[in-house]
Amino acid sequence: MTPHHSALETQLEISLNKIGIPPRPAILETISAEMKKDEPDINHLSAIISADVALAASLISITNSPYFGFRGRVHTAREALMVLGLNVASKAIAGLVMRRAFPSSPHLERFWDSSARIARLSGWLAQRIRNSTLRADDAYTFGLFRDCGIPILISRFPDYPNILKEANQDALRSFTDIEDQSLPTNHAVIGYVLAQSWWLSEETILAIRRHHDVDTLKSTSIPPSINSRHMIAVSQLAEYLLQKHSGLSQTQEWAKLGPACLQLLNLNNEGLDRVMAEATEVIEIEN
Amino acid sequence: MLHLSHQNIQAASIDPITGFPNRAACFNKISQLAKQPASEKRLTVIWIGLDRFKRVNESCGHQGGDLLIFQIASRLRDRTGHHTLWFRMAGDEFVHLSWAEDPDQTEKLASALLDEIGVPLALNNLTLHPTASLGIAAFEPGEFPHACLERADHAMQSAKRAGGNRIVTSGKELVPGRLGIRLAQDELQIENKLHLAIDHGKLHLQYQPIVAADGSLLSVEALMRCNSDQISPGEFIPIAEKTGLIIRLGEWSLLEGATFARRLQSAGQKSSVSINISRAQFSMPHFPQTLHAALLCANVAPEQVELELTESLFMDNSSIVQINLRATKDTGVRISIDDFGTGFSCLATLKDIHANKLKIDRAFVVALPHDRRAFSVVSAIARLGQDLGMLVVAEGVESREQADALLEAGVHAIQGYIFARPMPEDALLKWIRNRK
Repeated sequence: MTPHHSALETQLEISLNKIGIPPRPAILETISAEMKKDEPDINHLSAIISADVALAASLISITNSPYFGFRGRVHTAREALMVLGLNVASKAIAGLVMRRAFPSSPHLERFWDSSARIARLSGWLAQRIRNSTLRADDAYTFGLFRDCGIPILISRFPDYPNILKEANQDALRSFTDIEDQSLPTNHAVIGYVLAQSWWLSEETILAIRRHHDVDTLKSTSIPPSINSRHMIAVSQLAEYLLQKHSGLSQTQEWAKLGPACLQLLNLNNEGLDRVMAEATEVIEIEN
Repeated sequence: MLHLSHQNIQAASIDPITGFPNRAACFNKISQLAKQPASEKRLTVIWIGLDRFKRVNESCGHQGGDLLIFQIASRLRDRTGHHTLWFRMAGDEFVHLSWAEDPDQTEKLASALLDEIGVPLALNNLTLHPTASLGIAAFEPGEFPHACLERADHAMQSAKRAGGNRIVTSGKELVPGRLGIRLAQDELQIENKLHLAIDHGKLHLQYQPIVAADGSLLSVEALMRCNSDQISPGEFIPIAEKTGLIIRLGEWSLLEGATFARRLQSAGQKSSVSINISRAQFSMPHFPQTLHAALLCANVAPEQVELELTESLFMDNSSIVQINLRATKDTGVRISIDDFGTGFSCLATLKDIHANKLKIDRAFVVALPHDRRAFSVVSAIARLGQDLGMLVVAEGVESREQADALLEAGVHAIQGYIFARPMPEDALLKWIRNRK
C-alpha cells in the first residue's frame, strides 16, 4: 500500500468491490418511462420524486441554485419540475442518483461536490455562450458524468491517487496518456463505458471519452459532433473559472486545453474577462 | 398557322442517331400504356444513364460521342429485340419500357443490359470501357404515369451518386441515415427504430445456456434483443453493422454481459458469460482499453467472461487485430471461435490460435443425424478442437437425435432450443435453479 492510500480509501475499495458497477437506478427507469408518454403526468412524477425525501430536497436545492437563473424560490418537487422543465429535471435527477449509486465517503463527497459545481456552472455557461447550440441540460449532465471513472479507478488500483496527482501536475502530456502509462485503461474510457450503461446520449458519451484530448477540440471531423466538443470546452471553462475564483488551481488542464476551448467557443481575452466577471457573481451567490 | 403532317410529327419524335423515339414520345407512350387494363404483369421502367459521358465528348469530340451513343443503343436494342420500347431521353440517357412478371425478371434484364454496355469498345484508336447507372421503377396502381418515370430517373441518379456502374430499384435508393451512411428506405426505418431504442434504453441482453455433455451448465451466451417496435436481431444487427452503431451496441453489451457474469459469480455459479464481439468493434484501436474498463466496472474475474469472435477475425493479419487478440488474451478473458466451419478457415492459422472454445456453426447441425458426410466433418472438427486444447460446442441444436449424434461425434457441449431459448436474466436464473 502506498502512503497515499488511506484507510478510508481501503474502506471505499471494499465497498466498491462489493457493488461492482453502479447500476442505472430504478427511479430513473420509472421517470424516463413517464417522460416518454405523450403527455407525461407531472403529478405522478412529483409523487415518485417526493417519495424519496432526500432526492426531492436535492432537486429543490438545485432548482433554487443561481445557475438556473430563476429569481423566485421553489418549495416542492412539483414546483421544481414545473420550473426546470421535465428534460432538465430528469437530467438533474440522473446526476443526483448517480452520486448516490456510489458508496458515500468524505473523500468522494469532495469529488462529487466539485463535479456538481462544474456541472452547474457548465449549464449556466451553455446558456451564456452565444455561438453554442449546446443545451444547458446536456452541459450539466456532461459535467456530472465527465469524471465518473475516477471513483472506479480509485477503488480498483491502490496506486491510482499517485497517478492522479502526476496527471494533474503534468503540463505537457495529456491526462489520459499518463494514466495509460501505468494502467490498462483510463478514467475517460471507464466513464464512457459507464455512461453507455446509463444510456446517456451519444454526444455525451463521446465527449466523456475524449474530454482530455486536445486534438478532438481542434478537429473538425465528425464524430464527435460540435455539441460534443462544446460540452468538453464549456466544462473545461467552468472548471477553470471555478479554480480561478477559489485561487486553488490543482490541474494543468487549462494550460493544455484552454486555448483550443476558447477558440471553439469563439471567446477572446476580452470576452473571457466578461464571462469571468458574470460567472463570479453567480458563483458567489451560490457560496 | 403551321400544320404538321403525321409523318413530320413522327420524324420530329424520333432521335436521328439511335432511331429511338425521344423524351416526349416516352411520356406519351407511358401514359397510353398505363391506361391498359390491369394484368398480372406490371409496367416497368428501366432508366439508363451512361457514366462519365461528358469525358467521351471531351476526348473524342461530339462525333465520337454520337458514335458511342449509336453503338450502345444498337447493343441495347439487339439485347432486348427490335420490337421493344426504347427511348432516348437526353444526350446520354435511355429508357426501356416493358411488362414484367416479377421484379426479379426486371433486375435480371437490367443486369444483362449493364453487362452489355460494359463490353469494351474501340473509338478513335481508344478503347473505351463504358459503364452506366440504371434506375428501375415498377408502375404502382393508381400512380400518375409520369411519376413512375420520375422515380426511375431518381433511382438512376441515386445509382450515379453511389459511384455508378450499378442498378438501383426505386424505393430502395440509398439516402444518408443519421450517421451519414447511405441506406435504403426500409433500412432507414430500422435505423430510426434502433436509435429510438438506444435513446430510450430499450435494448437488453438475453441469455442462452450452453450445456456440457455431463448435463452441467458450461456457460451462457449473451444475445442482444430490442424490446420496442418489434425489431428482431436479424433486422437490427445488420443495420447496426452497416452504420457502425454495432460498436456502441457491442461496448454496451460487453459491460452488460460482464456485469451479469459478476452476478452469476456472486450467486456461486462457475459458468462464464459469452459475449459476441463484432469485427468492427474488435478492429478498434481502443478495444483493449474498453475491455479492461468493462471488466473493472463489472468487477468480475476475467475468466468468467468469454468473447465470441468469428473465425475470419483470427485469419485477419492486420496489425490492429493481431495486437487486440494478444491484448485480449493477456486480460485473462476466455476466447471462443464462433461460427466455425463457414468462413475461410485456414488450418495453418488454427494451430496458432489459443482459443478456449470452438463453436461449430449450425449449418452442420441441421444436417444431422442423417447426413453421414456432415457427421464426418463434425467428428473431424471435434477431434481437431480437442487436440488443440479447445472445448467444442455445437449451436442451433433442436432435437434429441441431433444432440445424440453430436455427442457421438465427440462434441463437448450443446446450445440450442433443445435445452432453452435465449431468455431474460430472471428466467435464466430460475432455469438454473430448477435444474438443480
